Amino acid sequence: MRLFGIETEYGITRDDLAEVDPVVESMELVRAHLTASFERRWDYAGEDPHEDARGFRASGLAQDKEEDEFAERDAHRPFSFHDMKSDLVLPNGARFYNDHTHPEYSTPECRTLKDLVAQDRAGEWIVQRAADRRNSSLGGEHVQLYKNNTDFHGHSYGCHDNYLVPRSIPFPRLAAGLLPFLVSRQVFAGAGKVGIEAQESGFVPGRFQLSQRADFMETELSVDTMHNRPILNTRDEPHADPKKFRRLHLIIGDANMCEYATALKIGTTRLVLELIERGAAPPLELEQPVAAVKQLSRDIDLKAVVRQKNGSSISVLEIQAQYYQAAERTLAGLDEETDWVLREWGDTLTLLAQERRSLVGKVDWITKHWLLETFMQEERIGWDDPWLASLDLEYHNVHPERGLYRGLEAEGKTWRMTAEVDIQRALVSGPADTRGGVRGLCVRRFPDQVKSVQWERIQFTGGLLPRTLDMDDLFEPDEVTRCLAVFEAAVSPMDALNIWNGRKDSRS
Amino acid sequence: MTHSTMPERREAPGDPMPKPGPTEEGGGPRRPETGSPEKDNLLKRMKKVDPKQAERYRQRTGE
Repeated sequence: MRLFGIETEYGITRDDLAEVDPVVESMELVRAHLTASFERRWDYAGEDPHEDARGFRASGLAQDKEEDEFAERDAHRPFSFHDMKSDLVLPNGARFYNDHTHPEYSTPECRTLKDLVAQDRAGEWIVQRAADRRNSSLGGEHVQLYKNNTDFHGHSYGCHDNYLVPRSIPFPRLAAGLLPFLVSRQVFAGAGKVGIEAQESGFVPGRFQLSQRADFMETELSVDTMHNRPILNTRDEPHADPKKFRRLHLIIGDANMCEYATALKIGTTRLVLELIERGAAPPLELEQPVAAVKQLSRDIDLKAVVRQKNGSSISVLEIQAQYYQAAERTLAGLDEETDWVLREWGDTLTLLAQERRSLVGKVDWITKHWLLETFMQEERIGWDDPWLASLDLEYHNVHPERGLYRGLEAEGKTWRMTAEVDIQRALVSGPADTRGGVRGLCVRRFPDQVKSVQWERIQFTGGLLPRTLDMDDLFEPDEVTRCLAVFEAAVSPMDALNIWNGRKDSRS
Repeated sequence: MTHSTMPERREAPGDPMPKPGPTEEGGGPRRPETGSPEKDNLLKRMKKVDPKQAERYRQRTGE
């Protein structure tokens, strides 16, 4: 089953205030999206971050204490929990809300890389448009948003990639097959970072590394996401029929500006999941995966080697080559998108070894490094100059007139998978072959009758009892098309539900 | 939805960038021009960045 999506927490700041209240700023930013008053729509029932994919429920998370402290402080504010969250469900089926003081945009579920990249870019558009509206009310360009993962003071925020996978794959097999791949994926998916930091402690300038998140990885497997961060998160919230599916929730990834990096990150991960499902993943086992993530991130020459459990050593490109070769052997010819990923994956590994400059505009860490080196030569400054961390930050600014990546894009120095028309389309409708498209259609057609939304269901008002569209098993594209047709044609959600549920009943 | 407050996005100058997707036959990435950033545009934008911006930038830990 092919289905994936990306959640991105944005950094937010105001340059006209000495003290920024992140709760208020993030909340106001999300609400600036609205042209009508806020209505609570998100349904939190069934969300439990303590459920662990290894088969138990964690009694507590490392972040619970800090969360409780924030909750105590936030309790004195004149807002409820739901006010602060300000959850919005958008006409493209995406979710936009305030998550842990960061505006977060979660794409609708996608089946193709082209849709995913367009939806991710639509997210950048949506958050920047909200900032423009907020700035308009503030009377200046004060609010700035950053699609990155660090504040250079030891605070990280995430960009999570999610995949629907069959529950039939045992979790230990999933973990074993994925760990070496995730440790090494940063070689093309890393966003690049100036300096080294650690969780909530310090910042050491003077070094450029592949990844923004590597410094914050502390363990191999864990249900935690804010402290004690794992290479492979074990949260078990399938947002689908739990007997059939699990949602793989990866928190190790960087937020990418390059469309190519986003497509390759998600595309290669999907192929590795296919390999694991078929029992064809390479038999790699690293001795110390957490140390390896950091070690590989800090070697931009890509020469470092890490130890395997069998005693031999292996480089980041050799790890990736083993996954690539297994995928080429097993999956070539599966479909057009798979062949595209295989071709680009192989080419990228070759170019990383031989001609990395040609990956400018395609791989973020190489693009950022090239920009900074050019600037350093121009200004005659060294890697320890604090200006470089500021330029690193500004690379991720999503403002079209300020962001450095945006400037490169305007000059035609970036590789594009989307045209502007694709992004405009993604702003107003979700993918036509996933339940994300159904969610978006319901928000557009029946805005006043949607009572609440969760990824796998929509509740409608009307009649004596709320009525629910269950989508926990709505994944086959043909079934999605039929569901969309019913909700497109019906005069009310009740009519649509009667027809849709009647069809399902007659088939069962 | 109105987009009136969003500045118009500029398309890449010169020849239109190919928009290759994985499903488009013959599609493939165009190698970007990587001689050096345009001095009059991008470097100017970089020089405008406040050197102390990252020092002031503080966020709460997220996920």
